[in-house]
Amino acid sequence: MRTFDYTSPRTVDEAVRLLADHPGADVIAGGTDLVTLLRDGIRTPTHLVDVNGLGLDEVSWQPGGAVRIGALCRNAIDDPALGRAYPVLVKALRAGASPQIRNRATFGGNLLQSVRCPYFRLPEFACNRRTPGAGCAALHGDSRHHAIFGTSENCIAVHPSDCAVALLALDAHVLVQSTRGTRRIPVAELHRLPGRTPHEEHALRRDELITAVELPAGPFGAHSTYVKARDRASFAFALASAAAVVAVRGGVVRRSRICLGGVAPKPWRSTAAEEALRGRPLDDAVIEAAADAATRDAQTRPDNAYKVDLVHGVVRQALTELREQS
Amino acid sequence: MSIGTPITRIEAPSKVNGQAVYTADVQLPGMVHAVMVGSTIAAGRLRAIDTRAAESAPGVLAVLTHRNVPRWHGTPDDLHYVEPRFPLADTEIHYHDQCVAVVVATTREQAAYAAGLVAVEYEARPVVASLDAALPTAHEPVWRFEPLFPSVVEVGGPKEAFAGSAAKVDAEYRTPYHSHAPIEPNATVAQWERGRLNIHKTSQDVHGDRRIIAGALGVPADHVRVWSTLVGGAFGNKTTVWPHTLLAAVASRQVGPPVRLVTTRKQVFTGHGHQPPIIQHLRVGADADGTLRAIIHETTNGTPILFDDPEPTISPSASMYAVPALGAYVRVADMHMPAPALLRTPGDGPGMFAVGSAMDELSYALNLDPLELRRRNHLAHHPLKRKPWSGKQLLDCYALGAERFGWDRRAPRPRAMRDGDDWVGFGMSSAQRLEPHTAATATVAILDDGTAEVRTSIAEIGTGNLTTLVQIAADGTGVPVRRFGIVSGDTDLPEAAPTHGSRSTGSTGTAVHLAAQNARLAATRLAVADPRSPLHGLPTDRVGAADGRLFAVDAPERGESYQDLLRRNHVKAVTEEGHHDPNAKNQQFAFATFGAHFTEVRINRNVPRVRVTRHVAVFAIGRVLNPKTARNQAQGGIVFAAGQTLSEQLTQDPATGLFVTPAFTDYHVPVHADVGEIDVSFVEEPDYNAHPHGAKGLGEVVCVGVHAAIANAVYHATGIRVRELPITPDKLARLVRESG
Ligand SMILES: Cc1cc2nc3c(=O)[nH]c(=O)nc-3n(C[C@H](O)[C@H](O)[C@H](O)COP(=O)(O)OP(=O)(O)OC[C@H]3O[C@@H](n4cnc5c(N)ncnc54)[C@H](O)[C@@H]3O)c2cc1C
Ligand code: SF4
Repeated sequence: MRTFDYTSPRTVDEAVRLLADHPGADVIAGGTDLVTLLRDGIRTPTHLVDVNGLGLDEVSWQPGGAVRIGALCRNAIDDPALGRAYPVLVKALRAGASPQIRNRATFGGNLLQSVRCPYFRLPEFACNRRTPGAGCAALHGDSRHHAIFGTSENCIAVHPSDCAVALLALDAHVLVQSTRGTRRIPVAELHRLPGRTPHEEHALRRDELITAVELPAGPFGAHSTYVKARDRASFAFALASAAAVVAVRGGVVRRSRICLGGVAPKPWRSTAAEEALRGRPLDDAVIEAAADAATRDAQTRPDNAYKVDLVHGVVRQALTELREQS
Repeated sequence: MSIGTPITRIEAPSKVNGQAVYTADVQLPGMVHAVMVGSTIAAGRLRAIDTRAAESAPGVLAVLTHRNVPRWHGTPDDLHYVEPRFPLADTEIHYHDQCVAVVVATTREQAAYAAGLVAVEYEARPVVASLDAALPTAHEPVWRFEPLFPSVVEVGGPKEAFAGSAAKVDAEYRTPYHSHAPIEPNATVAQWERGRLNIHKTSQDVHGDRRIIAGALGVPADHVRVWSTLVGGAFGNKTTVWPHTLLAAVASRQVGPPVRLVTTRKQVFTGHGHQPPIIQHLRVGADADGTLRAIIHETTNGTPILFDDPEPTISPSASMYAVPALGAYVRVADMHMPAPALLRTPGDGPGMFAVGSAMDELSYALNLDPLELRRRNHLAHHPLKRKPWSGKQLLDCYALGAERFGWDRRAPRPRAMRDGDDWVGFGMSSAQRLEPHTAATATVAILDDGTAEVRTSIAEIGTGNLTTLVQIAADGTGVPVRRFGIVSGDTDLPEAAPTHGSRSTGSTGTAVHLAAQNARLAATRLAVADPRSPLHGLPTDRVGAADGRLFAVDAPERGESYQDLLRRNHVKAVTEEGHHDPNAKNQQFAFATFGAHFTEVRINRNVPRVRVTRHVAVFAIGRVLNPKTARNQAQGGIVFAAGQTLSEQLTQDPATGLFVTPAFTDYHVPVHADVGEIDVSFVEEPDYNAHPHGAKGLGEVVCVGVHAAIANAVYHATGIRVRELPITPDKLARLVRESG
C-alpha cells in the first residue's frame, strides 16, 4: 500500500515543526483538492499534516481597520461586514465551486489549489508542472481553457482560483509561519509564472504554513465587484473573470484595480486597464477603453483566442456594474 | 382508475430513506473485489506486462491479463450490445483506457493499489483521434441491423430536385462525443455456485445480457441468472455488456469467492459508451411557398476500428416530411475509440439537431415563420412506408405550444429582440420518435390475501416504469395500486422488453395489460362457475372489477372480493400470463410519438453564455399513464438534451486520442442554476391502434428537437448560426465586440 503518516496537530508550532521534520509532508485543510490529487497519484506525500485542529478560523478586524481572515476560514464564509467592506471578495467566493465544496474549502487551500489543466490531472499525459522536463501535452492538445497571459513554452495552464483574483485586487497579503518565524507575502507574489520552472507553483517554502490572509483597511475595496464567464451557470471554473475595484472622487476614477482570472498562470493584474481609467469619468467610452486595454498583449492560440473577447466582456460588465452602483 | 392519476413512484420512499439497493450495494458472503487496469495509449499493442509486483502486493488473489485469461467461448454476434473483441483477448490496443489487466484482491483498496503496480510497456501506433482525421476511411457500414436501419435511402432523384429548388439550405452540422454521464457507475457482482453463474449488474435488459454473458463464457443460458436492481441513471450506457461484467465473472471463477467490480468514474467516461462524433451534411430544397422539394442528408459518424456502428441520424429526414425527393446516406469512419452505446436519443437526437436547424435556416431563406414552414409540410402518414400514423396530434402540439409560449410575440428577423444587455431569441423544433414493438411477457397474480403482484424482468432505470406497470395492472384487475407489488429485474421472471428505445410502456406495458386482463378473466370464470359466489351464472362480460372486488355490472352491490372468492375455493393465487407479440401489431399503421419544443434564450452581450430561460414542450404520446412520472421524464429529458446542446462534450486529445475530460469536473452536465422554467403539457388522445392500453413511449421523444430549438433560438437572438455542439461561450464570444 502507498501509505502515509497522518498527524493532526493542535497548535501552529506543532504543525510547522512537523512540516520541518518531514520533507515529504503535505498540509491538508478542506481536502477538496488534495484528496483527488492523492487519489489520482498526482501527489504522493509521505505525511499528511491535518491543520483542521489549529483554529485559524476567525475573521478578526485589526485596530487600524485591516482585517485578518484565518487560513482555515471556509469559502462559504458569510460575514456581512466583510461583504460591505470588500464585495469583490465575497462575490468571487460565491462564484466558485458549489455550496458543498465551499463549506469544506479553506482560504489557504483555495490559494494553493493546483491547476485544473486536464493534462496535469491525468497521469497518462506528459506535464512539466507534474514532472519537470517531461514536456507539456497541452501545447499540442486541447487548449481551450488555457492561458493567454504570462505563459511560457513550458506551461500554459491557468490558475483556477476566483478568490485569489479578488485578493489581488484588494492588495492582500498572505501571512505564513514556519519554525524560522513568520513573514508576509503579497498575494501578487504568491503565485509564480511558469517560465522554465512550472513545477515551482508558488513562493511558499516547503515547510511554511499559511496562517491568515490580511486585507488592508478600507475604504478602497468597498466599491468593487467580480464577474465570471464560464461554461455553465454555476460549478465551473472561469473561462475569464474580472475583479474590479474603483475609487471615484469628484466624478473621476482616482484609483483602481482591474485583475483577471482564468487567463493566466496567476491572478493577473491589468495595469493597462487601470491606466485607462485613471483620472477619467466612468462613462461608456472610458469603460470600453479599459476593457480593450485589459486585453492588450494577450498571446493566444487558435483554441483560446476567444478569451480575448471574454476578457473584454467581463471587464466591461464589472465596470458597468460599478458605474450603476455609484 | 389509477391510470391518468399522478401517483408517486412506488420505489421513491426507498430512494429517499436509503433502503434502495443498487448493484454496488449488493453484499455476498466472502465477496472480494476487482479493479481494472486501463491502457495509457489509444492505439498500438502491449509489448510487455509485468504483474509480479502486483501479485505479491497485500491481499492480491489474482491478476488477469491476456496471458492467463481463460479462453472465451463463441464470438459476440450481437455487435450492438457487446464489443466484438472480448476483453484481454490479445495484446492489441484500440482505444484509451482499454482494459489490459484485472487485479482481484480481498479489499477494493488493495486491488486498486496493486493495479497501480502492474507495469505495462506499450508499442504505440499512429492514432486516428478525430472524426476529421478519420474521414478518408468513411464507408458504408456493414452491420447486422441494416434491414432495420437502412444506410441508403433514395427516392425521387434528390440531386436534381435540390438543384431545381427555389430556396436552398446547404449546411454541415456537427455533434461531439457525448457521454451518458450516469450518476451510478457501471458495476457487476459475479458469483459461481456449482457451475451456475449469478450476476448482479447495472443493466437495462437482464435477458439480453444473459444471452451475451452465457455465450462468452460457454455456459448454457439457463445456468446464468442476471439481476438488475434499481439503476441509478443509464440513458443507454447500461444496454451494452461491457468488459467489466465478463471479467468479474471469469475473475470469480478463477479465485472462487464472489467478485464485485465497480468501475471508477473515469472508466465510466472512457469505456462505458458514448455517442460518437457525427458530421451531418444537409441539403434541403423547397418551393417559394415552403413546400419541400428535396432533402439530401449525408451523415458520417466515428466508429471503433473493429466494427461498424452507424448512428442512424437520417431517421427524421426519412420519416417526417412530405418530401418527394430524398437521399439519405449513412457512413462510418474508423477511429481509435471505445465502443459507442445507444444514447438517449439514438439517431433522432443528433438527427433532429441537423434537420430542425436546417428547417430553421430554410424558414429565414423563405422569410417564413419556422412554425408555419413545418405546418405546410405536415404529413399524416409515414412518407416511405405510405401508411397512416396510428395517431398523430402534431398540429395540436404546435398550436398548444405556440399559445402557451407566446410564439406570436416573436420578431420575424434575428437580432431584433433585446432586453438591456441581453439578446433574446425564440426557437422551436418538432419532435418525433418511432414507436417500437418488441416481444415482452409478464404475469399478474391475484392472491388470496387481497394483494396482487406483477412479475416481469424489466429493469427500472429511474423512469418510473415500475409504477406505471402497476397502474396498468391495477386497472386491468381492479386491485388497487396500494395492494399491488411488482417483482422485476431478474432473469428468473418472464422476459420483459429491454428498458431502452422507449419500449417499457408500449411493449412491456401491453404484456402487463394482457396479463391483468387474463388474471381478471380467470378469476371471473372461477366466480361465475362457483355456486357459492354471488356472481354465479353471470356471463363473464357482465362482471366488472374494482377496489379488489368483482361485481355485476348491472347491479354493482352484487359481488365479492377476490380474497373471499379465492379463500373459499382454496386457491392461493390466480396467475396469468400476458404476451406482447410484435408481429401481431396492426399492419395498417405506422407508429410514432410526436411533440413540439418552443424555447427562449437570453445571452448577455458581456458574458455570452446561452441561458435557456423558458422552454415550453407539448407531446402527443397517446394516453398519459401517470402525469407525474410523465412530466418528470419530460423535464429530465429536456434538461438532458439542453446539456448536450450547451455544455457537454467529451474531449479527445488531438495528438494521442486519449480522453481529456473523463470526470464531472470537466464534463459539464447542467446544474440546477442552468435550468430555467420548463412547461410540459400533453395532447392526450389514447392510441388504441398502437397498443391496447392506448399509451406509447415517452423517454426519448422528449429529448428530440431540444437541440435544434435552442440553436435556432440562439440564431434568432444573435444572428449567429452555431452548427456545432455544444454552444459554449467561445462560439459566441464575438458578440462582446459587436455593437448594437
Ligand atoms: C469540482 C470543483 C470545482 C471547483 N470550482 C472552483 C471554482 O469555480 N473556483 C475556485 O476558485 N475554486 C474552485 N474549486 C477549488 C476549490 O476552491 C479548492 O479545491 C479549495 O479551495 C481548496 O481548499 P481546501 O481547504 O479543500 O484545500 P486542500 O485540498 O486541503 O489543499 C489544497 C492545497 O493547499 C495546501 N494547503 C491547504 N491549506 C494550507 C495552509 N494553511 N498552508 C499551506 N498549505 C495549505 C495543501 O497542501 C494542498 O496543496 C473547485 C473544486 C472542485 C473540486
Ligand atoms: S499546460 Fe502546464 S500543467 Fe498543463 S500539461 Fe502543460 S505543463 Fe502541465
